[in-house]
Amino acid sequence: MSSNSLQSKLAAATCALLGTAATQPASASDADAWSFDSSVLYYGESDDRVQDISAAVAAKRDFGDERSLSLSLTADTLTGASASGAIALDRVQTFTSPSGKATYSTPARDVPLDDTFHDTRFALTAAWTQPLARLYTVSAGLGFSTEYDYRHLGANLSLARDFNKRNTTLSLGLAYSQDDIDPVGGAPVPLSQMLDVGDGSNKLGSDSKTVLDLLVGFTQVLGRNTVLRVNYSYSDSSGYLNDPYKILSVVDPATGDTIARVPAAGLAGSSGVYLFESRPDARTKQSVYAEVKHAFGKPVLRGAYRFMTDDWGIDSSTLETSLRWPVGASSYIEPQLRYYTQSAADFYRASLVSSQPLPQYASADFRLGEFDATTLGVKFGHRTGGGNEWSVRAEYYQQNGSVPGEQIIGHQRNREQYPDLSAVIVQFGYKFGL
Amino acid sequence: MSAIVLTRDPAHFTARFTAMASPCEVLIDTTDATLARRIAGAVGDCAWRIEKKFSRYRDDSVVQKINTTAGEAIEVDNETANLLDFAATLTTLSEGGFDITSGVLRRAWTFDGSDRVPTQADIDALLPSIGWQKVRWQRPILQLQRGMQIDFGGIGKEYAVDSACTRAEEIASDTSVLVNFGGDVAVRHPRRDGEPWRVGIEHAERTGLPARLVNLLRGAIATSGDARRFLLKDGRRYSHILDARTGWPVEGAPRSITVVADTCTQAGTITTLAMLQGANATVFLREAGVQFWVQ
Repeated sequence: MSSNSLQSKLAAATCALLGTAATQPASASDADAWSFDSSVLYYGESDDRVQDISAAVAAKRDFGDERSLSLSLTADTLTGASASGAIALDRVQTFTSPSGKATYSTPARDVPLDDTFHDTRFALTAAWTQPLARLYTVSAGLGFSTEYDYRHLGANLSLARDFNKRNTTLSLGLAYSQDDIDPVGGAPVPLSQMLDVGDGSNKLGSDSKTVLDLLVGFTQVLGRNTVLRVNYSYSDSSGYLNDPYKILSVVDPATGDTIARVPAAGLAGSSGVYLFESRPDARTKQSVYAEVKHAFGKPVLRGAYRFMTDDWGIDSSTLETSLRWPVGASSYIEPQLRYYTQSAADFYRASLVSSQPLPQYASADFRLGEFDATTLGVKFGHRTGGGNEWSVRAEYYQQNGSVPGEQIIGHQRNREQYPDLSAVIVQFGYKFGL
Repeated sequence: MSAIVLTRDPAHFTARFTAMASPCEVLIDTTDATLARRIAGAVGDCAWRIEKKFSRYRDDSVVQKINTTAGEAIEVDNETANLLDFAATLTTLSEGGFDITSGVLRRAWTFDGSDRVPTQADIDALLPSIGWQKVRWQRPILQLQRGMQIDFGGIGKEYAVDSACTRAEEIASDTSVLVNFGGDVAVRHPRRDGEPWRVGIEHAERTGLPARLVNLLRGAIATSGDARRFLLKDGRRYSHILDARTGWPVEGAPRSITVVADTCTQAGTITTLAMLQGANATVFLREAGVQFWVQ
């Protein structure tokens, strides 16, 4: 039977059955093949420290049958200065810049910042997800990122299985990455001294590290309005784990002031004794994350807690809560609160004392010290008539750290040892389909 | 009869109720609650009226009255006559594969996911009671042979969707109303903002999950599948689509066929005709020149 004959016979029979004249022709199409999630983020620390502008776009192509391809592209521009690890002094301090080609100075009583800090980063990821057998979903991905002194290559694989009429999902993930670090001026020999301009004798070439991550996840639907998620993750890093730009001041045991140093005749160089940091070449982290989401009608309350512990001696806890509250028919407002606290790494030192033997590992990087941080934010989202969604998020971040009392010596007591940090984060997001 | 639950969504109203053993949904493109309530009520009444009139399970239905005539002639009303005429056309178009007298095969086949496949003897015992050519149909007089039965499975729900659309159109002639009775969907008018409705097509194997999303501006979508209704024996899957000529399930048909047509009745009919083609279903759909998706 020809198609025309079938279609016309059927149309005539339907017309007779329904007793209506022919309706208008159907118009249907596959829904958005591609969906996009784009955002622009501004992160700005107070006192002209680090500023970051980041643009990201994630695209997902749905092939039906739960098969999908996800791609993402991120571009970051970092500018500003970050704390070098050296302590503040009552006199001007001069440092040899990481490139070894120049010096820079920090005014008296200021916490030394390395303002040669600027970078542009590009990151690209791709992942494929599809069902495997009846209740399994498998996902495999690749990631690549590059910045002027760093290159990352990663691969990941995850498998999820549904149980109990899809009310329970168990997932297993594995990720491996290989990162190459090529610091400006070369990677310094750990605990070697900051030298004069032009002297690169303590700088080595590039280095690398590998990271292996394992994740076990469990999601359970607890009734109509509540979902519980629990994750355990294990991460093992090995290789070059130092920050090549971080240093420690070597101080006098009585005064607590940095031992003065005079550059060689006719050369510019650092005005004190500063040693490059030294971290272990392996780190094992374990963390547990639990999250509960509960819908009270339309409003949704979320609470999450993460505990992390590693073999460097850092334990951290993160508590997070947010409440998504509908505003009108197609908007929502979501206040968010996050509290973070961590203990210091075993080898964290505010400074090194000249009379004491040199430890094997030492770092004055504030990120390895004891601190807590509170983030207060609010997000507003609106869904347009066309089904797209835009959102604006604003956050305020406040970090307060401390240095153990016994590490503060002499004149150091009169100066700020661990500068507080605050930052503002603003993000604009737009989700749309094509 | 169940109640209609009406909820307000950002730009439309959603009404939900149960009819014809299926979850039913009506999306009404209006912000006028009174109008939404009137349309939802009319659509619900239409579904329940058709269910009551044509259900083979109800003692007071027209179908039950026909099935208990024990070979006597019976005069049927106009609507029933229209459905019988349509069913007869469908039997012709499918060369006997589709037949409203084939419902007696349910005595041999229960598609519950088990391995209880009947024997040829079980089926042979039923075949004499099947075949539209054995029926005397001279509108409005119908005479079945003793032991024969009819049912409107495979037509009834799609007919109800189109009838409900007509009722909605009578109340508000240009309001976009999407009628969805258990996955058979129709809409006569585009929405005010020109945006399509997004219709999820159920996954053939994972019930309740959409396998694909379709933007529907106007027209109808019907799906025929065996997500829950099949038998499995010795590694062989028996689909619930039975060929009335043999009494056996069609072999090699896709798990699920979705067709777009101007009306739900046309879309549903084409999915049924395609299923009966078994392994040739896709070729049939392509030749029919319709928009379709198979799983």
